[in-house]
Formats: sequence, structure tokens, C-alpha cells
Amino acid sequence: MTRAQVYQRLNQVFREILDDDSIELKDETVADDVDGWDSFEHINLVVGVEEEFGFKIPMGKVVTMKNVGEMVDLILELGK
Amino acid sequence: MTITSFWFLVLISLGAGVYYLLPKAWQWVELLLLSLIFYYYAAESWTILYLAVSTLTVYGAALAICRLRGTQKQRLCLWVLLLAITVNLVVWFVVKGKGLWGFFAAKLYDSTGLAAAQSLLGLELLAALGMGYYTLQLLGYLIDCYWENVEPQKNPLKLFLFAVYFPQLTTGPISRYAQLECLFEKHKLQYRNLAFGAQRILWGFFKKIVLAERVGILVAAIQQNPQSYTGFYSWIALFMYPLQMYADFSGCMDIVLGVSELFDIHLTENFKNPFFSRTSQEFWQRWHITLGAWAKDYVLYPLLKSKRMVRFGKFTKKKFGRKTGKFLVNAAAMFVLWMVMGIWHGGLRYIVGVSLWYWIILMLGELLSPWFVKLTAALHMKTDSFSWHLFQSVRTYLIYAIGASFFSLGISRSLALLKDAWNVLWVEGSANPWIFFDQSILQLGVTYGDLNLILLAVLLLVIVACLREKYTYARIWIEQQSFLFRWMIWIALFLLVLVYGKYGPGYSAAEFIYQGF
Repeated sequence: MTRAQVYQRLNQVFREILDDDSIELKDETVADDVDGWDSFEHINLVVGVEEEFGFKIPMGKVVTMKNVGEMVDLILELGK
Repeated sequence: MTITSFWFLVLISLGAGVYYLLPKAWQWVELLLLSLIFYYYAAESWTILYLAVSTLTVYGAALAICRLRGTQKQRLCLWVLLLAITVNLVVWFVVKGKGLWGFFAAKLYDSTGLAAAQSLLGLELLAALGMGYYTLQLLGYLIDCYWENVEPQKNPLKLFLFAVYFPQLTTGPISRYAQLECLFEKHKLQYRNLAFGAQRILWGFFKKIVLAERVGILVAAIQQNPQSYTGFYSWIALFMYPLQMYADFSGCMDIVLGVSELFDIHLTENFKNPFFSRTSQEFWQRWHITLGAWAKDYVLYPLLKSKRMVRFGKFTKKKFGRKTGKFLVNAAAMFVLWMVMGIWHGGLRYIVGVSLWYWIILMLGELLSPWFVKLTAALHMKTDSFSWHLFQSVRTYLIYAIGASFFSLGISRSLALLKDAWNVLWVEGSANPWIFFDQSILQLGVTYGDLNLILLAVLLLVIVACLREKYTYARIWIEQQSFLFRWMIWIALFLLVLVYGKYGPGYSAAEFIYQGF
């Protein structure tokens, strides 16, 4: 899976959960940059990512991920 | 010894001097020694055993989890974690939770006359200093070890220092282990740390002994004599208590963070101009930040991500639709979160005043905000204007003031105060606006000078808050000014504290409001 492919699928997950088709994620995107990405939606997004990619994101990573770039790194690592 | 006492200032001055003269590998040992000295003089010394027990259980559990991981007994990791958490929470609850279990023991005694319940009520357990704070810190560390976010600390004395680190024992902040690992590093003397630390301590003293102590006199006089002080006095108590609380708690944090800065240890901020918040949700992201962040990471997230909660979310979405489903999940999770925060405060009044009140407010906010958005759009209101921001901030302040009155007075006395304040608006003959113009307020134990000082201090607080919004810290703006001007500011502040601070022989500054947790 390439980084671009991860982004494509990740954008879909975010758009669907946050109900916003204009979302375009980048490495440096953080919660404050996306309307509606609050503490609750953060977990909905994590669960959405888990279902999309078919693996569990460890709880420790859920609280320490700083931006979308780190999320993508993690997906690539877990998907190996 | 309190952190506003003369001897504390002597301790930190000498301590900071020695700190930078010592071989750097020994600096953390000195911090441990300073913490033990502070503890000895600030609390009943034997209560440090509570800290030792908590540290040892958490230390052992973290190492055990680390050893078990990757072996055939890996499943035991979770049990070790749960056991250590339970032991620490039970100790904390028995010692600090009398406000809660005492309530149920009293009910039990009233209804059954059980002798055991009576003897429970007579139990007076002495708590350790900062028990609510260090317990959360240690549990956070343990969970971080379990989540593999930090490496377990091999030296029990270093972990003990993490728990007992003296500046934060009084009222927090609740630090994370990863942030405080710098305690064990080597620190070089830097002029900026000493200057910024001293400045922040001075500002904290100003808030506490010039402002909070004066406002406290006003508020206490009204709260203690509700029959004599009615009408607009109730409004004064209602509106001034949040100010007292802020000056007291954030003043303490300024002293704590400033002291720590002297040792090149930069603690997490606990306040970020909370009264500038537009909503109650934002307020709690700016007030007692470290408690909210702790509860979010270690309670809310694991709860929301648990299998049952995810299943519950799917069920509610299917049954009630996407929006209502999400709302129900949020409401359930928020209820648990706020209950945890209320229980941490340790009494029924906190559960009602802090938790239930805010849970209702936040849920109402979530339900009604789409309607408000439509309403303001229909009325062509400029929601980005200063006046709208001011309206929102005053509304948020009032909501906090009501919660804070529960916090301060308990449920029945607070309801009486709120009823009296309400009567001013609607019951004929209840309003007494002349108290603001004749000398009535002076009967509350303050002078004209005190009132003027309160006004001046509030004005300074607003200026500093505005500078903080723009420059992160007002000190950074001051640092950019000319030598003469910035020294004038600090000397003036020093003189204000020296001349107008409530201290000295015969006067004992009240304990910090948040010291009891």
C-alpha cells in the first residue's frame, strides 16, 4: 500500500464520518484544521480507520498521534 | 509551610542556588531532598507513607507489566494493571472520599441505626498532601507504561520524585511522566529561567495575596450571613466567587510554575484565559486543563473505544439515526467523564455543582446550538463581532458562577443564594441597588482602598490576559520593552505585593481553594 493509496482511503473515511466532502487531508493536518473533529469524533475516526484498514490501532497511539501524517505512518506500519 | 510563606521563598532560593552548583548528575537528588523538606514542614510527615505505598505499587506493577509483555503470560498484564489501579483508587477513596462515602454511611445509619455505620462516620483519616494530584499522575504513568508510551522507570526513588515533586504537591498541575522525565536530566543555569520564574512567582503572589484575599473577604462575609446580606449582595457573592477562585487557583499555579521554572523544569499550563471562553465547552479546555486532559486520555478515549461503547454507538445510530445516535453516545460518555471529575473532587456538592450542572449545560448546548446558529443567521447577527463575543463570555461566566456557588456552598445554601439573586429581578422590594452607592459594602470588611485595589487588579488581569492571547505570555511582551520600562513594571508589581499584599505577623493567608484535593 502506498502513501497516496492510504490518503485516498483515509479521505473517504473522514468525509463520511464528518459528513464533509470537501475534506482533503495532508501530513500536517491537525484536529483544529478540520471542522467537527473534536474528542468524540476523534474516536469515531479511529474506529472508522480500523474498520477500513482491518486492524486495531493501539490505545497508546490514539492519545499520542499529533497529526494526520503520524496516523498515515501508523497505518503503513500496521499494514505491513 | 505554604507556598506563599517566607520560609518557602527561603527554601527555593537556597535550593535553586545549590541546584546549579551541584554536580549535574545529583540535581534530581536535591529536588527529592527539597520535596521531602517541603513535605515535612507542609504536612503531617507520616502521611508521606501514602505516597510511598502508591509509588511502590505503581513501580512494581509497571515493571511486572514490562516483564510479562511478550511472554506466554502476557494476558496477566491487564490484571496487574487493574490490580494496581484498584489498590490506588481504593486507598484514595477511603482517605479522601469521605464527602461521598460519608453521605451513604449517614443514610445507612439514619435508616438502620447500624453501629458500624456510626463508627465509620466518626473515622477521621488524615490524607497525604496532594493526594488527588499524585494519584492521577502515578496512574497516568502506569497506563502509559501499559500502552507502551513510556519506558518503566527502573529507579524507585526517581519515580518517587515524579510523585512528590514539591512545587506541584499543593494544587497540581497533573503532569504526565513523559513531560516530567526532564526531572532526571542535567540542567544548566540560564538567566531567563531565573528571571521568568521569579516574575511568574511575583505575579502569582499578586493574584493570591493582593486580589484573591481581598475578594475572599467580600465573598465570605456575604456567604456566611445570607440573612443579613440579601438582594444585590447575592449577586456580588455570585459574581465575585469565580474571580476569587480564578485569582486563587491560577495565582497558585503561577507560583508553582514559576518555582519549577527556577529549576529549569517547565510544567504544563493549567489555565489559558478561561474567562475569554465563548462556550462552556471551551471554558473547560482553558480551566484546570490538566485534569480535563487527564480524564480525556485515560477515561474518555478508552471508554469510547471500548467494544461495548462502539456497539452501543452502532445500535443508537441504527435505531435513532446518525445525529441522535451520536448525541446519545456523547451524552453517555460525557456523563461518565463528568462523574469521574466530580468524584475526584470528593463530595456530593462537587458531583452536583461541577459534574451534573456542567453535564446538563454541555448537553443542552449540543442540542440547542444548531437552533442558535439558525436564529443568529435569521436575525443577521454579527457573531464575529466583539459585542457578541462579550455576550458569550459573560454568559459562560454566569454559567460557571452558578456551578461555582454549588462548589463553594453546597446544594441547599447555594440554591438559597440563587433564589435570592433571582428575587432581585422579579420580586418587588427585593432590589437594593443603593448598596453600590452608600457605604453598605464597607460593612463587608473591606475599605474603599481595598475596593479600588480590586478594580486595579482586575484591570491588570484583563491587560495581562489580552497580552497572553497575543504573545503566549505577557512576560514575552514585557521582555521586548526597554530596560527602564520593564524594570518599572516589575518594581511596581513588587511594591504592590509588598505594600498591599495580605501577609505578615497576625495575618495568615487563607489556604488555596484547590489545596484540599
